[in-house]
Amino acid sequence: MYRYDEFDAALVRERVEEFRDQVERRASGALTEDQFKPLRLMNGVYLQLHAYMLRVAVPYGVMSGAQMRRLAHIARVYDKGYGHFTTRCNIQYNWPALTDLPAILSELAEVEMHAIQTSGNCIRNTTTDVFAGAADDELEDPRPWCEVIRQWSTIHPEFSFLPRKFKIAVVAAEKDRAAIRTHDVGLQIVKGADGGTAFRVFVGGGQGRLPHIAQEIAPAVPGHELLAYLTAILRAWNLLGRRDNIHKARIKILVASLGIDAFRTEVDKHFATLRQEDLRIPDAELTRIQSYFTPPVFADLPKTSAAFDRAVLADPDFARFSRNNIRRHKQPGYASVIVSLKPVDGVPGDITDAQMDLVADLAERYSFDEVRAAYEQNLVLPHVRLDDTPALWRELLAAGLATPNADLVTDIIACPGLDYCSLANARSIPVAQALSRQLGDLDYQERVGPVRINMSGCINACGHHHVGHIGVLGVDRKGEEYYQITVGGSPDEQAALGEIVGRSLPSEEVAPAIARALDRYLEVRTEGERFIDTVRRLGADPFRDAIYETADAVA
Amino acid sequence: MQWLESVQNGPRLSVTTPLEEVETAAANTDALVLEFDAFRDGRGFSLASILRERGYAGRLIAAGHVLPDQARHLRRSGFDAVELSPGADIETWKRMDTAFDAAYQPAEEKAQTIWQRRAAARASTPPRETPPKPDGDLQALADRLNAQVADAGPAQILTAALDPALGLNTAAISSFGAESAALLHLIAEQDRSVPVVFLETGQHFFQTLQYRSQLSEKLGLSDVRLVTPDATEKADLDARDDLWKTDADACCDLRKTRPLARATAGFSALITGRKRYQNEDRAELLPFEVLDGVLRINPLAAWTAEDVEDHLVAHDLPRHPLVDQGYLSIGCWPCTRAVEAGEDARAGRWSGLDKTECGIHLGRSQPIAA
Amino acid sequence: MKIITANRLSDGRVIYVGEAGAVVDSLSAAAVFEPEAADAALAEAAAQPAVFVNPYLVEVTGHTPSGRDRLKETIRSAGPTVGNSLKHREPA
Repeated sequence: MYRYDEFDAALVRERVEEFRDQVERRASGALTEDQFKPLRLMNGVYLQLHAYMLRVAVPYGVMSGAQMRRLAHIARVYDKGYGHFTTRCNIQYNWPALTDLPAILSELAEVEMHAIQTSGNCIRNTTTDVFAGAADDELEDPRPWCEVIRQWSTIHPEFSFLPRKFKIAVVAAEKDRAAIRTHDVGLQIVKGADGGTAFRVFVGGGQGRLPHIAQEIAPAVPGHELLAYLTAILRAWNLLGRRDNIHKARIKILVASLGIDAFRTEVDKHFATLRQEDLRIPDAELTRIQSYFTPPVFADLPKTSAAFDRAVLADPDFARFSRNNIRRHKQPGYASVIVSLKPVDGVPGDITDAQMDLVADLAERYSFDEVRAAYEQNLVLPHVRLDDTPALWRELLAAGLATPNADLVTDIIACPGLDYCSLANARSIPVAQALSRQLGDLDYQERVGPVRINMSGCINACGHHHVGHIGVLGVDRKGEEYYQITVGGSPDEQAALGEIVGRSLPSEEVAPAIARALDRYLEVRTEGERFIDTVRRLGADPFRDAIYETADAVA
Repeated sequence: MQWLESVQNGPRLSVTTPLEEVETAAANTDALVLEFDAFRDGRGFSLASILRERGYAGRLIAAGHVLPDQARHLRRSGFDAVELSPGADIETWKRMDTAFDAAYQPAEEKAQTIWQRRAAARASTPPRETPPKPDGDLQALADRLNAQVADAGPAQILTAALDPALGLNTAAISSFGAESAALLHLIAEQDRSVPVVFLETGQHFFQTLQYRSQLSEKLGLSDVRLVTPDATEKADLDARDDLWKTDADACCDLRKTRPLARATAGFSALITGRKRYQNEDRAELLPFEVLDGVLRINPLAAWTAEDVEDHLVAHDLPRHPLVDQGYLSIGCWPCTRAVEAGEDARAGRWSGLDKTECGIHLGRSQPIAA
Repeated sequence: MKIITANRLSDGRVIYVGEAGAVVDSLSAAAVFEPEAADAALAEAAAQPAVFVNPYLVEVTGHTPSGRDRLKETIRSAGPTVGNSLKHREPA
């Protein structure tokens, strides 16, 4: 993984000092709250329902053991002993004091971490496929490009006061495991005309009040022109994006209102006159960054592992874990292991300090000192020997991190909701817990197969409910919590927005309603058809009927 | 950057003004004021950048609602000056303007970016393929360990090296050649899980490959890592596998030196089987040395060929099959020949060339012998 | 009736305006204002940005939130209803 040189380290330290200065000026009154707010947001500091919330950046989701250990330490010393991983692969702390933040940020800087631009109207953390470097279907490792984008976008003088936030995601395969079509800009690595790296560029995706699926703006931008092209896109939007209404300010609104062709014309006009040669990534710099992402030195192992096979036969629980949470790796004898942060009745995405310390240790011992944060709010140990998976599983099991539900119905993506967030209309955590209790039986979950439930506590859609196979949105009906259900969304290369099935339901009816929808799926599916495939085949009606049949009967 | 305390003359446009109008105004003046109605309105930064890129060379002044914290953004977007609001604190503006020594991305000002500074730093220091590691503490450690093991045999040297308290991340390099069994056996007796890096150059004798499998299994080595040349490089530099004919140094670099550097990047200590007697270059060899920020451990430094032979016999270790055919040192087949009576053991390596070392044990700053 | 609430600048915690302009951290100790007096008290809080961040009015009946935002204000006053902070004990 990338390691800071003296320039990277200096910049992060200077940023801590700049923020310390800003905190002091806010305390002294030299800055009003209105002036201070965008500045603190650009350092990841929100003011939430109960306290400040700090969102620490995990660049493209990659961490070392030492970094994970420091995150545990911060949870322990400055917070309430836990953290929360998000859909953008960052980690959030819910209780830090403003006065502690310079110290927290300094401690993060020591392990090459920061909270720069994890919020605010600027370019946010660039995310990618959690299996980058291990997946067997990628054209190349996307992470060096993410690191290039990270450096280029950090404290960008022209793009730090944008109309709204701006999120970029990168994948390197046809299969989209980073939901790039839900981002402001999505990048897919493809082969260029000259055989080199090029990018298929999507623009205008986003969740929120007015969700959009991104559209392709360019089929193959050559790698060395990437930053120039991104500059042109951002410049076009920076000048034309609406600033009168925060709900109409994202680039998705501009693209939708101009149409993709007119928007492309604007972008091309800027591209034609900006200084492309200045923005050309120096070959030496790209090579330097790429050298940090060369594959680890894998052992020469056979494709199958006797230890793994024996464990599968001997222990049905390990067998279930292997079916769901152990994923194929391009290197024979290795696998990627999903560490679930979705225990039944737990808080999706939460992890305690003790668990973080354990994961750090496991990463060092089993996975070449690397652990990843996933879009699904789980963690991944990317390079584990199949031989080692039984022992690894036992250690995860002891720490409550081995729930074998990856991609199954209780692998719920959920925002923190009204329990934490001042924007929320309704709570999401208790509903997610009720769902996981109702649907928790593992035999049942495996029979149902892969289904993604996404929960958002408000229309801002931080839980990405629009692109859930089943989406749940908390709404406020006259001061009461109600939940709207959508069906048929998808975040991947077949991206789609879910359809609202009917009137919203009170919280205690949500889990039974979704259970009925899944039972209906089991009745009508054909052999090997996943839930989302059945929805595509039959539409939302069968599920609408199931969801409301009993609800209507008691109404 | 200038901090102006009086209202400036010159056309004054809000940053909400459409780009075309701003460009027209700029074409007709040599001092333009862009007024921020709100500090969050980032259009001003794009307007300035575009004006500069499209050739505006006059003065560009920022006015209105701007924060000292935006000083750098304004300067780097192409503004020359800020018209300060009444009561603004110039000291804060100056302080925030200089809060950062360097920036990553190119912008309208002429200062070197971090990427350019890196390139400049690289140009003036020898090229490194792996991130530099600190040398200082390691040399002290090496000196201390050499003193500690002064008269000790290889087993004690290894025990000292493998002490977990040192906090080293250690691997062994082995060619699985004529004498390798001795070192690997000694290592296996202490810790079979020490990673053993084997440079799979693609040009080994097949007997070496068989011997490697056989010996690994017999000793119970659990982590033998095969390291191959980079596929793209090899396709570029030696697609027909005949580079050894014209440039043996380049071939060693491609198949041994660079792959080894990549493979060992994560290790702070490497164990080798080098011995003083093997050739002149190694005559001064110590058990512990520091090379390119890595601790090199040579437990067999003081051993002679007889010591090796005695060890192989005493522990009934299999020999490399080519030893009986007169190969006392075994590398890749194109550059290895049997040794004549009276020659030193490595005389069969790159015979007829000045080359005596492939380079993997030489420091980066030392040129490979031509 | 109204109470005035905000977040405290230093640690972000929920605070209320108490009797005689004191800063209190529990809803039960908050001063309850008639609507006319509430605006003046709000302005006073807004004039102390070093303590009160974004103060605003909350409709209450007695000391119980009763307006449209009653659920949110209840959660603000009592803390999260679920989650890992409930298990946390402050270090002695």
